[in-house]
Amino acid sequence: MKLDAATIAVCGLICSLCSPQVNAQSLTLSGSVTAAATAQPIDQATVTATRSDNAATVSAETGADGKYVLQDMAPGIYTVTVKADHFAAKNANIGLSAESHTLDISLNELPNAPSAPSMEDLGFSAQQTQANPQLQTTLARRTEMLKIHQRLGLITTIPMAAAVITGPMAKAKGKNGETIKEPTQANLDFHAALGGATTALYFSTAYFAIAAPRVAGTQKHGAIRWHEALAFIHGPGMVLTPVLGYMAYKQENAGEKVHGIASAHGTVAYITSASYGAAIVAVSWPIHWKFWEKQ
Amino acid sequence: MTGRWLLPFFLAALPLAAQTSTQWVLEQSTLSYHMSHPMHEVDGISHAAKGKGTCHAGQCDFLIGVPVKTFDSGDTNRDLHMLESTRGAQFPMVVVRTQFPESATSSPTVYADLEVQFAGQTAHFQHVPFQRIAQGSEVRITGTVPVTCSDFKIDRPSFLTVPIKNEIPVRVDMTWHSN
Repeated sequence: MKLDAATIAVCGLICSLCSPQVNAQSLTLSGSVTAAATAQPIDQATVTATRSDNAATVSAETGADGKYVLQDMAPGIYTVTVKADHFAAKNANIGLSAESHTLDISLNELPNAPSAPSMEDLGFSAQQTQANPQLQTTLARRTEMLKIHQRLGLITTIPMAAAVITGPMAKAKGKNGETIKEPTQANLDFHAALGGATTALYFSTAYFAIAAPRVAGTQKHGAIRWHEALAFIHGPGMVLTPVLGYMAYKQENAGEKVHGIASAHGTVAYITSASYGAAIVAVSWPIHWKFWEKQ
Repeated sequence: MTGRWLLPFFLAALPLAAQTSTQWVLEQSTLSYHMSHPMHEVDGISHAAKGKGTCHAGQCDFLIGVPVKTFDSGDTNRDLHMLESTRGAQFPMVVVRTQFPESATSSPTVYADLEVQFAGQTAHFQHVPFQRIAQGSEVRITGTVPVTCSDFKIDRPSFLTVPIKNEIPVRVDMTWHSN
């Protein structure tokens, strides 16, 4: 039922003035919002009732059927405003005096009103726009493991560098080129301990890189490829170095001159250390030189 | 570290003529974030943004979207770290909205208020200047959005245990075409 807003307003005002007992009532205003041209219900139209004497407002949105309900309203005169996208807003006055009132409103469509663009308009695929919490979890775990990989990798450089430095001293020579009997044994043990620590840290470091989750469909490019390629040098090197070192250690302890493949221990260790250092540089590339000058 | 990621974005498109109703389509774009680390200066670039705009009755609405994962910094590892830091799998799109009166678009410099949704957060950038160059029916827009990690509650990615700077300005270079 469409009501004349002015008639309702006058009647409502008279009723409210004559019946003070209704002031304590909780009233309801309901109705529907439709398009004037098509009579089709308008979804998500905002209906706001503003009381004239104290500016108190009550509002609601229409559903898919175009219907709305404003509840808990006190008797009085209201200005009802209806707004919807692509339609001209409309106001109506109404006086509420009974428990239930109905107000149906039709809106005129704005001429040629283009809608603001939406994400659907942009044409992205669902695969691009859909959230993937499982992938987020995988990435988080991956990042955490690679952070540990980085830290352990940096820590590993300390005993590795020390082992490289102490290597030549493990078979210490005197000023005249003669082997020093004491403390050669101590040097050897210290060097072996550093090598052992390096080996343990290295493989711990490697574990966190190898076990870090892979992200399917990712084509690797950039510095990370060099970083990983160099692992094919220092990886086998870190297996060979302690093995050859152990052989050399036994020969030294037996009073023998290091011979055979054990004599390659030092060379393999140098190559391994160099490729390990290069791997760190590679993953850091390009390095911003003079970074100490940055603000 | 990719942390890198980032971000993202941006925007703004500003047409020229005050027509009754004009549709704008983003023809091509280059969006790049710049990340600073004590050892690195890195740019992540995306050409995958899509955008549309409508101007009607003197008011313009523009929308631009770009998938977070399309930013390429030149290193897969860094980009994946960026994707993780920016929560890019959970919130895969950077979305930029802006509204402005059509009359504001006639000068060589256009100031736009941007609403940027990124990493599950929404940030507003007021009065961001963009240079506008009209080329026939196309308009080229260039500018820089002063984005920071903290704007979007992003934990700054780190490399070798050192985090990047909070500022990750996003350079915008877009060409819009009106239908």
